[in-house]
Formats: sequence, structure tokens, C-alpha cells
Amino acid sequence: MRLSFTLPFFLVAALLATSCRDSGPTGTNIVTRELPESQQSFRLVDSSAERFRYQKRDAAASTESAPAASSAPELIYTTPEGWEKQDGSMMRDVNLAFGENGEGECYVARLPGAGGGLVANVNRWLGQMGADSLTEEEINALPKKPLFGQPATFLDVEGDFSPGMGSTEVMKDYRLLGLILASDAGAVFVKMTGPKTLVGENADAFDVFTSSLDVSLN
Amino acid sequence: MASKPIDWSPSNWPKLLYQFFTSFKVATAIFVLMTIVTLLGTLAQVDQGLYAAKVKYFHSFFFTDKIFGIPVLLPGGLLLMLVLFVNMTLGALVKVRKRWKGLGPLISHFGMLMLLAGGFVTWAFGTDGYMALYPGMSSNRVESYRNWQLEVFPLDENGQAKQAWILPSDELQSIRVDEQRSYDADGLPFDVIINGFTKNATPIPVTANGASDATGKEIDGFKLAPQETAKEAEQNLPGAYVAFDPDGEGENAEAILWAGSYRFDPKEDPMPFQFTVDGKNYGAMLAKKSWHVPFEVRLDEFIFERHPGVSTARNFESRVTRFSEAQETSLEIKMNEPMRYVGYTFFQESFGPPDGKPGEMFSQFAVANNPADQWPLWALVVTTIGLGIHFCVMLIDFIVRSRKKTSAAPSS
Amino acid sequence: MKRLLLALLFSAFALPGLVSARDLPKSLLPSYEPWDDEVVHTFENLLVQEGGRVKPIYSVARFTLMQFSGKTTASFQTVDGVDHKLHYAEWLLNVLFRGDVAKDMPVFIVDDSAAVVQIGVSPKAKRDRYSYNELLAGRAKLAELGAQFAEKEKKYQDSEKDPQYELGRVEGMILTLGRNISSFEYLIGQFGFARQGELLVNENILPEELTELAKRLDVVEMLERMPEMTLDQLVQAVRSQPGTSEDERMFSGALRLFFFHANTARGLNLFPPQEADNEVWLSASDVMIGALGSKEMRPWAGEQLGKIKVLVDARNESPEAFATELTNFAEWQHSISDPRGEGLHSDLEVQMYRDKPFYNALVCFIIAFVVMAFSWLTPGSKTGKVLILIASLIAIAGLVLNIYGITLRSIIRQRPPITNLYDTVIFITATAVLLGLLIEYFTRLGVGTLVAILSGLMGMFLSMKYEAKEATDTITQLVAVLDTNFWLATHVTIINIGYAAGLVAAIIGIIYLTGRFVMMLMGKQAKDFFKTLTRMNYGVICFCLFFALVGTVLGGIWANYSWGRFWGWDPKENGALMICLWTLVILHGRMAGWIRDLGIHMNAIVLAIITTFSWWGVNNLGVGLHSYGFTEGVWGALYSSWGVLGVFMLMGVIVWINERKKKAMKKDDTKAGEPVPA
Repeated sequence: MRLSFTLPFFLVAALLATSCRDSGPTGTNIVTRELPESQQSFRLVDSSAERFRYQKRDAAASTESAPAASSAPELIYTTPEGWEKQDGSMMRDVNLAFGENGEGECYVARLPGAGGGLVANVNRWLGQMGADSLTEEEINALPKKPLFGQPATFLDVEGDFSPGMGSTEVMKDYRLLGLILASDAGAVFVKMTGPKTLVGENADAFDVFTSSLDVSLN
Repeated sequence: MASKPIDWSPSNWPKLLYQFFTSFKVATAIFVLMTIVTLLGTLAQVDQGLYAAKVKYFHSFFFTDKIFGIPVLLPGGLLLMLVLFVNMTLGALVKVRKRWKGLGPLISHFGMLMLLAGGFVTWAFGTDGYMALYPGMSSNRVESYRNWQLEVFPLDENGQAKQAWILPSDELQSIRVDEQRSYDADGLPFDVIINGFTKNATPIPVTANGASDATGKEIDGFKLAPQETAKEAEQNLPGAYVAFDPDGEGENAEAILWAGSYRFDPKEDPMPFQFTVDGKNYGAMLAKKSWHVPFEVRLDEFIFERHPGVSTARNFESRVTRFSEAQETSLEIKMNEPMRYVGYTFFQESFGPPDGKPGEMFSQFAVANNPADQWPLWALVVTTIGLGIHFCVMLIDFIVRSRKKTSAAPSS
Repeated sequence: MKRLLLALLFSAFALPGLVSARDLPKSLLPSYEPWDDEVVHTFENLLVQEGGRVKPIYSVARFTLMQFSGKTTASFQTVDGVDHKLHYAEWLLNVLFRGDVAKDMPVFIVDDSAAVVQIGVSPKAKRDRYSYNELLAGRAKLAELGAQFAEKEKKYQDSEKDPQYELGRVEGMILTLGRNISSFEYLIGQFGFARQGELLVNENILPEELTELAKRLDVVEMLERMPEMTLDQLVQAVRSQPGTSEDERMFSGALRLFFFHANTARGLNLFPPQEADNEVWLSASDVMIGALGSKEMRPWAGEQLGKIKVLVDARNESPEAFATELTNFAEWQHSISDPRGEGLHSDLEVQMYRDKPFYNALVCFIIAFVVMAFSWLTPGSKTGKVLILIASLIAIAGLVLNIYGITLRSIIRQRPPITNLYDTVIFITATAVLLGLLIEYFTRLGVGTLVAILSGLMGMFLSMKYEAKEATDTITQLVAVLDTNFWLATHVTIINIGYAAGLVAAIIGIIYLTGRFVMMLMGKQAKDFFKTLTRMNYGVICFCLFFALVGTVLGGIWANYSWGRFWGWDPKENGALMICLWTLVILHGRMAGWIRDLGIHMNAIVLAIITTFSWWGVNNLGVGLHSYGFTEGVWGALYSSWGVLGVFMLMGVIVWINERKKKAMKKDDTKAGEPVPA
């Protein structure tokens, strides 16, 4: 019976002993050690920023904040007079607004790969303006304007605009000017909407803008 | 059946204690409590991370937690296992009636005791760390996963150092954020003053957003911003405000030292803070706590394969050469086949960098020194024998009795 | 009581008659001509590399259709009123070689019509299947929303599950639908390059001039003429403006066309690589792009792409020609892969899916259950005993099928039986059924058979449900640490046997508690029967302790070999520990006098709760080294099953209260009879 009592006490003692999960210097005093060859060199930097790897983090942060559109080549264009740049979004590579209260908007969107096709998208926009759908022949017969040097289908519709996508409001007496280019590398959309008269005033500006759109080869 | 009244007099205490520690009721209660503690600890791991929950629930004597919003005080893993150990030793080995039928349980309980004992020994005396090498590199240093120490060293004209003074991690990590401690080192012509140690921090420039929230001092355009401790303890990067006070005249050299200035990759060199005292250059940095093993390991080749066409790793293994006492041995270290030598075990643990291409990767070994390394295996063998015997005895018993029943008139 | 039972049983048979065959979704196809059986069989054996493994295209077809449709057949009614039910292999054959027909087959399941409304497609029933063409109107919107939701989902993962980024139910459906549609388009367009401009998806993507060009230019011819370019260079060239001269425009057009073909021919890795030591199979796209970058590769690439051309041409020629060429292609594949040691068991894999062992096992268990139920009409009689015997034999048949399936899978994989979560389901089922049958052999009460049947029913059903939910190949490759047959065969097998035993104990407990409860309501007794059940369960619990404990410790020893520590309080380890602990609670609690008969069975049910938590719950906590089984909806299923188990516990509590009342009343009676103390 004595023997079996000592076992637990041994363990209690072991428990109370300082548990060290790893080896190496312990205690409170400064000790010295010889440095092995593999640990004798250092990278001596001048600035705290470098020592704290801050430049890298800073650079990384700034590239993160750039919109995802940077995966595709950058777009360059002429901003027509009176048009103001807005923040781009995940979908909109270029986003411009015009008019006194910014009710007019014009954006460029690119969809890689599929995108749904010309017919589907033309009819989608027509639907948003409350107009009837067109057949494929009718769509192919629509006028074309240049976009990135290629002929793109041009759409000019007037009506009541329901943008959908979460908002249920209907904007009366609107006009839509749009260009759709469906190519193998992807589909490109340029869509301008706004009150009828405002859009009429900016119809030329639309042409200036779209014909100036180009891809920068940086 | 009327129960005898309990004699609470002090002279009876040893007997009462003995009865308590050998009772089945205590054993059952311990198992129930251990189940509850294990469940709570596992659920807590989701939020707190494996290591922190482990320390709170399983490596403690007591802890508090909230069950459905009600705070409770519960015994921790250590206390429960300690009581269980005593209970098993006294109850299963000492008190139990020695009869043939009880041989199985006797042996298996002994096996479990071995297991528990092994657990204690590992916890108390085991060490673990890692060694990361690129092909061609060799080392005899093992670094800690999560403990940091302060190192100060004189730099020669080439910017190298041969010797370092170390403030051990136990001491360093015990300094609180708002505490100041001062150390005098023999051979260094200055005192080392630590003005606060933070377990996880990031240095940010004073011009950055949120810099005003950081309450630390500004040094060289940066402040040390404390962060929440990470769930994976290895991801914490501590920081400290350190000042070097020359013994003679001269101003203090002050700096923010940050764990992130240490190497993240075996090829990198760490970036110490430099300062001059009495015309001599010194460097200071937070470095991973490290220790050496009595031999050197050189990575000759690291083989890495992914399953074709997917990103899961299929196999990774290292070919190394071990140098010890003028003897060279070439061998392989791979998953499930570690290298055991003079009490140290090298496991193929991992690799990096995460997006590395085969041929440009480093191999990482977990290095453990565990005196009770093989105890669980022996404990298992013993327990299995005991349980096996017991199971067979019970099965035969059951069959015999059931056969007797079914050969008699059918009951239902 | 007997009459009631009889009525119930017969009405169960009548049910199928009452429920008329649900109307199959209608397709816009005027009619459908099935493929020749032989052609389908040849097709099944084509080899594809997917998920790191060379497998028959049969498996790919199965899981692809499962992913799109939630089931393994494509069922629809054509305009001529004929019902068709296509096997998945035939469906994929259509997709690859008769895409225009496949696009009209309603295979895309949408669980809530709100999802289709959101993309601008007219909805059908609340939960229905749509064909590709039906969804085409909303294709652009689907792509747009899909990209949006994918971004949101990524943010959800990156931000460690910040609830503001959590996808709503319909949003998740749209995301999945978008991905499925995209995968479908890749399959349809897979051999488009060999079809001379006959484009079946995204016709409007290519401008007119290129569509014309596609009719004239052959991909292999193009390859022969193009300069060496890397993929990046090709992309750059495609994005840049074509020059003004006719030649430049022609060249640029050809590049765009080539890029288009290469882009759409991705996903099906049919071609073993040239080099013997290279293990990665190539898709037609990989071949094209590889050959674009290296002139040396072009002759070989021409050969590979040519084989597809031969197939497509034969398809246009005649069914016989197609059958011949398909056979040639399959043989050619095997002639290359066999010496490489790849896909050696592909025919076994096809056989396994054809034999449907787990489905047939489920059928056996259902029949066995019905037979068993009939035996309850005449308990104790000779008829009853015969019926139980028949049920046991049918259950054995089910078990044999289950084991057959497990064995085939092990051979195909060349690994011990359990390598992933799906394997645990079928293995635990087999173990539980075996245990039940063994118990029956020793006790001959019918209880063992019932346990076996119930385990088989639930287990096989669960396996099919889980497979359908994941909709990915259940035969997977192993991560590096699992790459050891010894530990897989020992630790994993033993601990799963322990899980099975824990569940069997709960089933016995359920039978006991239900029995006690019913007997209490009827005011009857069956003490001997229940005593036997208790002894039975005690034995099973000891069995569970043995295997769970040995399995857990083996796991620790394995962990020590791989990770350098025997025990790390990892969630999976904790789960296994809790199972051991609870069996110990039952055993020691009994010896302490705290748990008697009722307690054993009720605690067995608690044991099942702990076992299921350890089996499924810990994988879904998202933390720890064993987080390898992420499954949606697991927590919901777990909570429901625990709720059901709770009901049985409640029965036990009621019986217990009743018993105490009876005892108290008895005590009062005896007290009343005692002489008054002086």
C-alpha cells in the first residue's frame, strides 16, 4: 500500500515542476551563446519601414485596393465635357455621370467568355426600357458603330426605364443609347441612360466617348 | 437497507479519503466530468483556436465557462486526470478483489495507468520545435513554434556577429504591456530596458489610419499597435519597446522590436535594429527561441509531388545527411517514417513557401524530444491484452447463459 | 392490435398505386432517338483523368449529371408524348456528340423558382428541372449575378465567415446554377474544334467573319501554320487591334478562332501525355496550347486532335461508323494507359456502378423489414420464427452486397476499405449489420435481425443521400499523411468498428425503451425478454469500448509517427475520447449502482449522440487537423436525429417515473401492513 501512494506523489511533484514545452534558455537572467555559422549574418537595413516590412505591405495594400478590372488591360478614353468620373464597380470598368444632378450615366462593362450573346442582351435592355423584344434578324439589321475598332451593335430606345436589379422604381421618359460588341475574347457593353432630353443633348458626346475607347498596351 | 452513519472525526479521515478515492462513484463522476470538459473544450476551439483552448480546458486545474449563459466553475483536464490516476491506482490495482475473472480489468487498468503516466511525462518533460531547410542547407538548431526571446549582439565591420546575449522567452513573455523591466548584462556596456511586451502586434506608421488608437510611444515614425491574439498561436508576432541605456554617458537608444523582422523563410536573414554605443555597433532583435541538438542535419534533396492535375500534395519526403561525432549517415525522412536519434525525433512535418514550385521549396521537420515516446504503444499492448481477456470471458458467459435460456421454454 | 397492423401493412402496398407516376418534365424535343446499347457500353469505358485519378468516363458522367440534376437519370417527355429516361452515360454521350439534342433535355435542377425569376426566365413549378435552352434567355444575367455572388462567397471565406457576406438561399442557388451551366457549356463545346464551325453554345460570341472562317479552317491545319507562341502571347495578340491589311485581319481572325477553340475544349482530360514519366493527362485544350508553344509537339498533337476529328466525322457518317471509331478510340486509350499502369481497374469501376450494390442492398433491407413486420403479427409462433429466419437471410443478402461494394472500391483504389467520409458510411453500415446478425445467431429472439435491418436501412439510405448531396466522385485520392496502408487498415478500420458498435447499442436501447414504454401502456410484463436485451446491450457496449479505445490509442500512435505528438486535443481525437469515456461511464456507473437496466439503455442513446457528433460533427467545426469532411446541412441533420433520439430518452424517463411510482406505492402497501411500533 505504501508503494502505491508514492506514485501519485511523484506525479504531483512532476506537475508542480515548471513545465517547459521546449528546451532552450530558461530563467530570468541574460545568458550568452555562441552563434553558429548559419546564424551569423543579418540583413542590415536603414529604415524602420523596411525593418517592419512596411513598404511591401503598403505596396500590397495599394494594389489590393485597385479594382479587379486590372486583371484585364487598362482602358483609356476621352471624357466628354460635362461628364464626371464615378467610382467603378466590380462590373463597370468605366463609370461616368452627367447632367445637373448626375441623373445621366454611362458605363462600360466587360464580360469574359459567354456573356449570353448579342440577342439576349439587346432584348434585356429593350425589356428594361419597356420596349418589345426583337428577333435575331431584326437585331442583326440594327445599325453598327465602331467600338475598339470593331463594328458593334447600336441601340437607341426611348421609354420608361426600370433598371430592375433590386430597385423597383420606374424612371419615366428615359432614353437609352447602347453599344454591344460580342467577340470571342468576351463581350463589351457600353450603356448610356438618362432623361430623354439630357441624353439627346449628350448623344454626340456618346459618340466621342465610345470612339475614343481604347486598350492601353502597358 | 439502512446505511451506517458516516464517522466524520479527524481520526477517520484517512479511511474516508481511501473510500472516496477508491469508489466507483468517483470514477464515474470523473468520466462524466471529463466528457463535459472535452466537449466544452472542443467547441471552444472553434473560436479560440486549438492551442488556447487546450491550455484553458485541458492543461488546467480549474476553469470557468458559460453553459447556456450560466457561468460555471469546472475542474480542468489536469485535475481530473490526476484524480483519475489516484482512483485507478488505489481502486483498480490495490483495492480490487484478486480473482481470476478480474484479471482482464486488472491488466487493462494497469495499461491505462501507463498511458496516463506517459501523458504526464510528455507534458512535463517533452519538447517540440521545428527545423526548416532548403536543399544544401544544414543546421543543428531547432526553433520554437511560438516562443520568442530577445537577442542582442555586437556587430563586426562586416555586419556579422559571433556571440549573442539572450533574454530567455519565459522572462520576456512574462512582461506585461504596461510594465518596465531593466536588465544588466555582463560584457555589454549598457542596460537593456524593456518598456512593455505585447503578445501580438503590428508596427504602423503614425500617418496611417487608426494610428491614433495605438497608445504606444512613437519611435522613428512608427508606433506599435497591439492586435488580438491569433487563433493559431504560431501566427502571433509579438512586439516590444526596448531601450539601451549606456553604462557611461550618452543617450539611450530606443527602438520598437518586432517579431516580423525575423526570418519567415529559411533563406532569409533577419533584420535587427542597429545602434551604436561607445563607437561600437550592436544589433538587437526578437528571435524565435531556439536550442541545439547534438548533431547536424543537412538537407540533400526535397521531393515534392502533387496528385496529377490537382493541388493536393500526394507525397513529400526529404533526403538528409546526419553528421555526428565524425560519422556521416544518409537517410530519408518522410511522412509516417521519422528519424529517431539520441532521443530526438525528426518528423517530415511540412514544406514551403505555400505557392512554391518543386525544386524551389524548403522542407520543414518537426523536432521532438519525448522521453515517453514509446510508452503509449506499450500501454496499448497491455490494455488490449487486458480488454481482450475480459471481453472473451464476458462473451462466453453471455453465450452460455443465453443458450440456457433459449433451450428452456420460450418466454416471449 | 393485430388487425391494425395488418391494415397498415397492406395499405403500404397500396400506396404506390395511389401515387401515379409523376409527370416527367416536358422537353421541346419533337422526339428522341436513343443510342445503340453497344455504343453506350463502349463509350462507358473511355478513360478520363479527373481528381488526380484515371477513371472511366462512366464515373464522370454519373457525378456530372448528379451535380446538375440531383439524380442519375435524365428523364423527360418529348413532344410526341413518349417518356424517356436516359442513363447518365447515354446523357453524356449526347452532350459530347449530339449537343443540340442535349441542350433541350431538362436536367438543371432549381430548388426554388425564385432563382430563375431573378435571371429573367419564366418559371415552371416551384422546384423543377430546366433545359439549357430554357435558361438561355437569362444567360447574361446568370453570368453577371454569378460573378457577383462568387465574389461575395470569396469574401465570406476570407473574412472568416462574416455573416454580412453569407449567401442567401436563392443567391446560393443562382451561383450553383451558373457554375453548372458553365460546366455544361464546356462539355457541349468540348469537341467543337472538330466540328468545322458548327458552334453549339455561345453562337453569338464569334463575329460573323470568324464563324465563316471556322467553317474553312481546321484546327490541326492552323497549328501547322502558326508560329510558336505562349498562351500569354496568344492572349495579348487576341486583345490587340487587328491590322488594316487583309492578311493581318485574316491572321488575327485565325488567332481569335484558335483561342476560342482552345478555350472551349477544356475540362475533359482524355489524352495520356507523351512522356512516360509525366502523369498529368491533357485535355484537347491543353494539347492545342501545348502544341502552340512548341513546334516539336505539333505532330503528336495533330494525331491526338485528329482522333477526335475521326470520331466526330464518324458520328456524322453513320451509327455503325461511330461505333467502330469509338471502339478504336477506347482501345487506343487503353493501349497507352495500361502499360503506364493507369486506369487498370476502370472496368471494375464501371461494373460497380452498373451493379448498384448499395442500392440493391437497400432494397434487400426494405424487403427484409416488411417480412419482419409480418412476423410481428404472429409473435412466438412457428410462422413468426420462419418469417424471422427469412428476414435474416434477406438481411444477409443485403450485407453481402454491401461488402461486395466495399471490396470493389478497395480494389479499384488499391487501398484499405476506408479512405474518406463516404467510405465510413458504407463500412459502418456493414459492421452494424454484421453485429446485428451475430447477435441474432446467439440469441434467436428476432431482435438481432431487427437491429441488422434497421442499421442496413438507415446506412444505405444515408450513403445514397450523402453521395447525391456531394455530387462528386466518392473514390478520391489521399492526402500525403494518409498515404500509408498500414495505419489506414488498422486505426481507421478499428475506430469505425467502434463507431458502429456505439450506434448498434443505441438501436438496442431504442428497441428496449420502445418495448418498455409500450408494455407499460398495455400494462403487460416481459421481464425475461428485457433482461436479455440488457445483457445484450452490455455486451455490445463492452465491444464498443474495446474497439473505440484501441482505435483511439492507435490513432495517437500514428499521430506520433507523423506529427511528433501522441495526443494534441484535436477535435477528432476529442470526439473519439468522448466515446471511450461514455462507455466507461456506463460500465462504471453500473458498478457504482447509479445505473441499472433502464439507465444502461438510456445512456446507450447518449452514446449514439456522442458517436454521431464525433463521426460528423467534429469534421464540420472547421478547426483542427481532421477537418476533412465539409458538408452543408450536416448540423441540421444531426440536430434532427438527436431530437428523435431525445424522444426515446423521454420514453425512458416516463417509464422510470412510472416505475418509481409503482415502487413507492408498493412501499406504502407494505408499510400499511406493518405492525405499529410500540
